[in-house]
Amino acid sequence: MADIAFLLIVFFMLTAVFTSTQGLRFQFPKDDPSQLNVQPEEAIHIKIASEGQFQVDRVAMTIDEMGSYVQSKMSQNPEKPVIIQTDPEVPYYVMIDVFDLLKQLEVKNVSIPTESEIARWRALGFLE
Amino acid sequence: MKLRDQVWTIKAVVPTASMADIAFLLIIFFMLTTSFSPERTSVKLPESVVRAEVTEEASIIAVTADGQIMFTSGEEASEPLSGAEELGAIVQQIIELIPSKEFVIKADREAKYKDVDAVLDALRTNGAKRIGLLTRPEAASSSPSL
Repeated sequence: MADIAFLLIVFFMLTAVFTSTQGLRFQFPKDDPSQLNVQPEEAIHIKIASEGQFQVDRVAMTIDEMGSYVQSKMSQNPEKPVIIQTDPEVPYYVMIDVFDLLKQLEVKNVSIPTESEIARWRALGFLE
Repeated sequence: MKLRDQVWTIKAVVPTASMADIAFLLIIFFMLTTSFSPERTSVKLPESVVRAEVTEEASIIAVTADGQIMFTSGEEASEPLSGAEELGAIVQQIIELIPSKEFVIKADREAKYKDVDAVLDALRTNGAKRIGLLTRPEAASSSPSL
């Protein structure tokens, strides 16, 4: 009897997978063409290069410098939008680190454009 | 009393009467705490400090480190997809039925950003509104690794 009990224990221990059910949540904005005019010009533009270096508004920074830069901009304007443009070859966790940092700093307006959106903005002349 | 004739043997006896009880308690514990998640791809999630609970009936899109996409709408077990275009078609069907459906991206931390970008693009262009990026907890004091 104890053998069977132990077999059952082992079975349930192996099938219990501790899955994560929490993460970063966000909403896509309405696909509104008028919003395009506002964002790229006055937004903080964070560019993540393929090696993982950060360029904030054209200035190379480390992640801590970026944190204080964003924080100082936020204290002047709490509604300041931030754009995270990530190079396709960058590992995913780098973008998550930046996004997490922005969420910690309570940035309300984070924009993570996809490649097709970036191409569209470039065609409209908003990005370099 | 002749001490020489008395042989003192020490018997170590562990009472095993309660072992079965403990075993059954453990079984019941694991039976109650096992939840069969439809999405069981093992993925090394990235860490984040800020975390919010994702909806129970969210649709889960898993992206492994080598770019393989697994999809479940929340009900059945996840199935592999050939790519983001196939995902786009499925997302469109789901949004037609449930416009406020939440999509959760369970991507490996070492996944190439372009794979996740393709998934995000497929979600955005097909009308998905609420997105979650699954993460594991991180202590606020530890600095982000690069």
